[in-house]
Amino acid sequence: MFHIALRILTYDKVRSLITLLGVVFAVTLIFSQIGIYLGLMQASSVLIDNTPGDIWVTSKNSRNFDFAHPIPEYMYYHALGTPGVEWAEKLIVAWNVIQQKDGSTEQIEVIGFNPDTGIGGPWRMKAGEPGAVKNGNFAIVDESATRRLGKIGIGDYKDVNRKRIQIVGISEGVRSFTTAPLVFTSYNLAQRLGGYISPDSTVFIIVKKLPGYSVREVVASLQQRLSGVDVFTKEDFSFRTRMYWTIETGVGFSFLLTIIISFLVGMLIVGQTIYNSTVEHLKEFGTMKALGAENRDIYQIIFAQAILNALIGYVASLVITLVSVKLYDMTGMTMVVSWQVNLMTLVLTMVMCLLAAVISIRKIRRIDPAILFRG
Amino acid sequence: MEPAIVACGLTKVYKEGPVGPVEVHAVGGVDITVNEGELIGLFGPSGSGKTTLLSMLGCILRPTGGSLEVFGNDVIAIPEDEMPWIRKRYISFIFQGFNLFPALTAFENVMLVLELRKVPPDDAARRAEQLIAEVGLAERSSFLPRDLSGGQKQRVAIARALAADSPIIIADEPTGNLDHSNGVHIMRLLRALASDRRKSVIVATHDSRTQGMFDRILFMEDGEIFGQKEMVK
Ligand SMILES: Nc1ncnc2c1ncn2[C@@H]1O[C@H](COP(=O)(O)OP(=O)(O)OP(=O)(O)O)[C@@H](O)[C@H]1O
Ligand SMILES: [Mg+2]
Repeated sequence: MFHIALRILTYDKVRSLITLLGVVFAVTLIFSQIGIYLGLMQASSVLIDNTPGDIWVTSKNSRNFDFAHPIPEYMYYHALGTPGVEWAEKLIVAWNVIQQKDGSTEQIEVIGFNPDTGIGGPWRMKAGEPGAVKNGNFAIVDESATRRLGKIGIGDYKDVNRKRIQIVGISEGVRSFTTAPLVFTSYNLAQRLGGYISPDSTVFIIVKKLPGYSVREVVASLQQRLSGVDVFTKEDFSFRTRMYWTIETGVGFSFLLTIIISFLVGMLIVGQTIYNSTVEHLKEFGTMKALGAENRDIYQIIFAQAILNALIGYVASLVITLVSVKLYDMTGMTMVVSWQVNLMTLVLTMVMCLLAAVISIRKIRRIDPAILFRG
Repeated sequence: MEPAIVACGLTKVYKEGPVGPVEVHAVGGVDITVNEGELIGLFGPSGSGKTTLLSMLGCILRPTGGSLEVFGNDVIAIPEDEMPWIRKRYISFIFQGFNLFPALTAFENVMLVLELRKVPPDDAARRAEQLIAEVGLAERSSFLPRDLSGGQKQRVAIARALAADSPIIIADEPTGNLDHSNGVHIMRLLRALASDRRKSVIVATHDSRTQGMFDRILFMEDGEIFGQKEMVK
């Protein structure tokens, strides 16, 4: 029955094309919404995910990476002395302002890491070395920051909270969810940059467990030993950060809403085309029934139309999506296209088109034989 | 020899009229026996119940009264979901409006019936070609219905009815949309089906000029058969 569906679709080319456009529109939108959402989620936890270590110690009830509060620095030593800890490292993440040449200011996120170990520092460099921030007012900015801060080169000077800082490196792939530029400095400089960070506080303590200990075990020991802080596994903290942006800010909901609307729009377009086509072919379908076809045979034709719409529309959308990934990249956003996303969208597209066909099924079941004999 | 169709007191009362719940007595108490190889003409004015009667004989409309047997199968007793099976096995239709799939070629329209009967594709293609040649359309087998004349479309429909190879063929005004010479051509094809292939063919028609081609003629009025005429050959 598949070839009959194909013939029906190719017979009325204009209508089929319009329907396909509808499917492509809906599916491309679904693709981009899922892809951009995942891109944003990736960005929101990019630093956690790219930093070595197993466990993150944060201020009490800290809900995400970007808005954690300072904790006393001595906790670091307590953590170091906890059984099962191989190493611990301090990391400062703090908001600050950068003064531009034209007098304007930009919000930035300062990441103060230990240049000796590089833990919490940039993981991919375009120019310079992470270690170069050591012993002085030096910083590394990400290449993506140029959109906010203007063109930056090694050797340039920038004023952060009225302290003159020299750029010694350019990192790659460190985009924050907040789109605020990430500026890496040494841990010591970050402590001295002022704002709400005092010289005796850190923001995170990152812990690596010893082999032979389970992560849960070490988390439990740390929770017991350190009071007034939260202890998360790296995965938990990453997830927590993503969920904060997804749920607390409504970002996730708005993406979900767009996906649902695209799904419904696509379903309506496909549904009404298949319905119209079914109504127009009612006589022929009735004739098939008179000639011995069972309802099932005719359902197959209708579902085959839906599947054809879904498959062709999906492939076209996938191509469009793959091409537009580069475009998104140029605008500083990441759109994730992975086989999981593709599979999920394929399933959504199929469900969308098949659901759309269901309305027509009822029409088949109650064909009035009288229509067969109308001239 | 078993008759193809035996109907006694066949009745249809439509509960739902076109404009609300009015009872319409479309067919009332028709007795009819259809034999093998017989070409029967059903004549009567518009609204006399010809189509309704044919629909019941063709097992696409449930009678509201009477009995109906198709090759010994008690159609009244058969559950709804076995009706396709009865039709598939015994009955083919030819319609005034042809009812061909506009998107399918003449050949494919005939093939469709064979596919529904799960005939292997190679056999099916051979048979479809052969049947289309038999109705004189060999050159036009790859035409879409929109590129065929009315008479040609009806010939495709006849080839399609033949593809099913069912013993009963029911035709409702098969010449209604055709001019006289095309109508005669179609009637000759139906005549041959009854004579040569031993099909039972029942034709409802207004066209009294074709009366002479039938074996037997039934006259209908107000849902009843009020006269019958055996034709001599
Ligand atoms: N589905 C239906 N619902 C209600 N009444 C119907 C229905 N179909 C037919 N009728 C009525 O039944 C009667 C018989 O109709 P039918 O179509 O059988 O006549 P016919 O002899 O085939 O007429 P024609 O020569 O015009 O085709 C008519 O009065 C018609 O209005
Ligand atoms: Mg009629």
